[in-house]
Amino acid sequence: MAMIAMATGFVLILIGLFGALSNRNILRMIVAFAVANTGVNLVLVAVGYMDGRTAPILNEAVPVAEATTRIIDPVPQALVLTAIVIGVGVTALMLAYAYKLFKTKGTLDISQYTDLKW
Amino acid sequence: MVSPIFIIAASLGGAFLLGLLRDPWRRASYTISLLVLAFTTALAGAWVWGLASGAVQAVDILTAGTQPPFAVNLRLGIAEAAMVLLINLTGLLSALYLRDTLFIQGRRAMAVLLIFSMALSGIVMTRDLFNLFVFFELAVISTGGLILLSRDPRALAAGFKYLVASQVVSILMLVGIIFAYHATGSLNLDDMAAASEQLLKGGALAFFLIFIAVVAELKLFPANGWALDIYESAHPAFSALVSAAAGSAALVAVDKLLTIGGPAWMEVASIIGIVSFVGANLFALAQNVDRRLLGYSSVAQIGLIVFVAGQQDILGDSYLFVAGGVLLAHAVGKAGLFWLSGLIGGRELTAWSALQGNPLLIFAFASFLALLIGLPPFPGFYAKWELVHLIAAEGRLLLLSLLLFGALVEAGYLFRWFGYTIKRDRHPEPVAPSLYKHGVIGIAVLAGWSLAYLWGELSPHANLLHAAPMLFALMFLAIEWAPARLKNAVAIAGLLAWFATTYSAYDPLQLIFALIVLAGGAVILLASFQTPGRRLGFYPSAMLMFAGLAMLILAEDSFTFFAAWESLTIGSYFLILRGRQSEPHALSYLVFSLGGAFLILTGFALAAQGNSQFALAGLGELVQPLAPWVFLLLAIGFMTKTAAIGLHIWLPGAHAEAETDVSPMVSGILLKAGLFGLFMLLIHMGRQEFYGLDLTHAMMWIGALSALLGNLMAVFQEDAKRLLAYSSIGQMGYALFGLAMMNHLGWLMALMFVINHYIYKSMLFLSVGGVAKRTGTRAMYQMGGLITLMPLSFIAVLIGIIAMSGVPPLSGFGGRWILYNAIMTSEYRLPMILVFLSGPIAFLYLFRLIHSIFLGQLKDEHRLIKEAPFWLVLPQMIYVVCLLGFALVPGLALRHVDAYISNFLPQGALNWEGLTITSDFGYWSPVSIMLIVGVIFSLVFALLLLVNRKAQKVKQFNIVFSAERPYRPETTHYAWNFYASYRKALGFLEWPLFERFWGAIVDLLHTAADLSRRFYTGNGQVYAIHLLAFVVVVYLLKGGV
Repeated sequence: MAMIAMATGFVLILIGLFGALSNRNILRMIVAFAVANTGVNLVLVAVGYMDGRTAPILNEAVPVAEATTRIIDPVPQALVLTAIVIGVGVTALMLAYAYKLFKTKGTLDISQYTDLKW
Repeated sequence: MVSPIFIIAASLGGAFLLGLLRDPWRRASYTISLLVLAFTTALAGAWVWGLASGAVQAVDILTAGTQPPFAVNLRLGIAEAAMVLLINLTGLLSALYLRDTLFIQGRRAMAVLLIFSMALSGIVMTRDLFNLFVFFELAVISTGGLILLSRDPRALAAGFKYLVASQVVSILMLVGIIFAYHATGSLNLDDMAAASEQLLKGGALAFFLIFIAVVAELKLFPANGWALDIYESAHPAFSALVSAAAGSAALVAVDKLLTIGGPAWMEVASIIGIVSFVGANLFALAQNVDRRLLGYSSVAQIGLIVFVAGQQDILGDSYLFVAGGVLLAHAVGKAGLFWLSGLIGGRELTAWSALQGNPLLIFAFASFLALLIGLPPFPGFYAKWELVHLIAAEGRLLLLSLLLFGALVEAGYLFRWFGYTIKRDRHPEPVAPSLYKHGVIGIAVLAGWSLAYLWGELSPHANLLHAAPMLFALMFLAIEWAPARLKNAVAIAGLLAWFATTYSAYDPLQLIFALIVLAGGAVILLASFQTPGRRLGFYPSAMLMFAGLAMLILAEDSFTFFAAWESLTIGSYFLILRGRQSEPHALSYLVFSLGGAFLILTGFALAAQGNSQFALAGLGELVQPLAPWVFLLLAIGFMTKTAAIGLHIWLPGAHAEAETDVSPMVSGILLKAGLFGLFMLLIHMGRQEFYGLDLTHAMMWIGALSALLGNLMAVFQEDAKRLLAYSSIGQMGYALFGLAMMNHLGWLMALMFVINHYIYKSMLFLSVGGVAKRTGTRAMYQMGGLITLMPLSFIAVLIGIIAMSGVPPLSGFGGRWILYNAIMTSEYRLPMILVFLSGPIAFLYLFRLIHSIFLGQLKDEHRLIKEAPFWLVLPQMIYVVCLLGFALVPGLALRHVDAYISNFLPQGALNWEGLTITSDFGYWSPVSIMLIVGVIFSLVFALLLLVNRKAQKVKQFNIVFSAERPYRPETTHYAWNFYASYRKALGFLEWPLFERFWGAIVDLLHTAADLSRRFYTGNGQVYAIHLLAFVVVVYLLKGGV
């Protein structure tokens, strides 16, 4: 199960990177990065997953005393939460850039924005 | 002490508070931002002070009430505190600098600025890997926001390219982090360092991904196209922050990772760093846009610090000293330059000529450049010294040569830029008058000089800012407002006073050099009384050169020697640059001199074998196989300064284009620094065998060829000052030849040339300079017949050429006499023939000085010319007296030196009894020669006066033979191409082979830089591909991890 999730995650990362590098349209690039980010998050979760264990929530179902043997590692989950938040921030910023870029030149083709070079 | 967590908390709180304010309350928002930054800066400063003085210990800050690794922890030691201070101070200053922009952009921009400095502080302090990632991402997001502060519309695209690259980086980093966590079970950096072996075995790929992601954050060459675009287009205050603060933060992160990675990864860091340093500096050669150039330079400097971090295995205790020195010097210098660029209207390098007329800003500019290049007395200099010594001791010579090559290229393009600033036509757009911006730049200058003092104190060597000559030179910066004549009097008094106080410290050899530099310098400075006004920039430069020379003579250890050497190089560069047409020549002088200085540095470093405090006398104890290499490096370094043939191409332009009173300083005095170095070298090291070749034999050949070719090239000059300059190459050739003979008389002759060359070359440069001043030209064929109008100058030139040509009765003959005696005792014949040959050649060009300038017919436009100004004539007359005196009683100076040389080369000393000097081969009686020549001269002169009555006055006419068509006016003048027939016969010897050789190298570098920089296509996707390719290449080179 974890292996499938991890493999899917890596496939998503590769698809995302490929998409971001092969599409000239800025919006498509942003979407592609979102896909890659999802892949990363999946990998993160998959690394922390342990077969046969439950979610790391301490309540009546999982008493504190048994927690170490019954729950999966909570750290990757916490990391994923943070990573998702950051991902949203960066994506929003990129979209804002896309909007402003479109307003300057009227195009979303990244190869048109090469005024600065060499 | 207040917990450093408040550095993070205050910034965060301030940013949130700004969010609560009303939008129009600009002033309140700005005040809050400044207060927050001032608070964090002060807090960081207090910690630096406390940690440095030992009042407090390094602290670990725990969060969430739990120990690591269950909660994030932060740490603040002295290095972290210094970095946090740097970041917040740069943030504060940039906020001040951005005042107007922030008022327009409003509180959101201010909040982002606070977040940015908080994120960077967090990167420095955190000990948790994931936390590091979070702070990095915060820095990315706030960078994305702050780029928009720029008014340049291109910044938008640059920002997007940056975000694309940072997405790739964050993917790599996250994947790396999670697997590193998987391998070690902790996110705490210290835990990971403890489990380093396990991590590097099982999770090597994970570590690689984290490492490469952090390296990518440093924007290293060549995976950094987006970063260059940001540097070029963002607001300069933000570029300053990125270069100084963000760069430093990321460096701390790399350093943290290297404690996990260990030696294997340090090697990777070294290679990445040095490639970045050399590559980015090379690319910068082809840049013509100031901020992009600064961007390349930032990349190079950060590469250098990564390299230093990679060398920490051998740096040991001095790691923080070296890395800190390079890093802080870079941060202050680069931030200062970016801030300065905000005052300049145009973006091309030549637009910086707008700084002309702002001496304070020019001083700031020069200080920042010196900080970047690591010139004395700045921290980079001390750091470079330690670094080079330790690398050399370890035998990492390839790295060492790459390091020095990169540094030379960097100095080349930075000083070329300085030359544009000083010499190009002033840019029409004046510098921005903003008080805030000027204040911020002033603080940066102050910070730079304070760091210079601090590093001097921290270093194991004497603080250069405590050296009296250096302080005296710097004092002239403070009295720049005073009139030039007053400063001149102070300068002369200073030179003489230093000579008087140090008099007892010199041995006879040093005394000769000290006399020339200090007393001789004072005589030349008399000519400077001629210049009215304030003469801004002249005295600090000249006195820096003299300070270097004064310290050089007394230096006992290699550090002082080298520091003095670089100081005199820089001082004389600024001095030469003052000439009207001297921009390219000053640059070529500087590049050659620094190249030579780096060879000297390498030589000393090899000799010292890791001991950075090395007495010069220790050179004598070196053995094979090291000794000949040290000898070779030092000798070439010194011969760069004496302009030995092959390394001479900088000299004619630099000496000829310099100002009237500067030419004698740089020719008569400065060239002696190289000879002094050679004396020092030969005294300590003697003969050295290099793969069977006697190196002194090679030097002898170089000396002979310099004498021959230097004289020959002087013969064909039309420009009187260039003629004198070329003749210096020949004269230095004689001295080199004498030294390399390695016998008693050879050395005595070299010293004789040291003294003679100072006197007559200074005198001739002054007389010719005076003539050029009056006639408005330096071309000899445009002069003529000045004997009656400028009789004193004529006398000086006449005496000068008699002395220089080595005919009786003047002191030049003494030099010759010793030379001939020396040759009799030496075994080498062929180079001697060359030296013999160059004697008569000297007659040819010396004759022209009299013939074409003073004899012949007066030009119409010169009929009203007066004698040269008093202050130019006065030193010439002093020299005339000196020459006559030295000719009569040479023993006064030489017998002591003769005795001193006997300590090293006892064979063949002269006998100085009475007024006659006796050698094994004959005797020389200066007084009787003087009498005989005087009598003959009087007789001939009387005869001439007698027959003069019969002479006719001639009219002016042109000599044009039939069938010759005069295309240019000067072709019809008899004194133009005076030695045309000799030129036909021997002209092939003056083909500019060496000029072409060095020119081809420079062209090659420029063309390579210009072609390869097209690799940065400007397309954001291409940059992302560069980044991925960089990751793959590093991975493969590391051998698949």
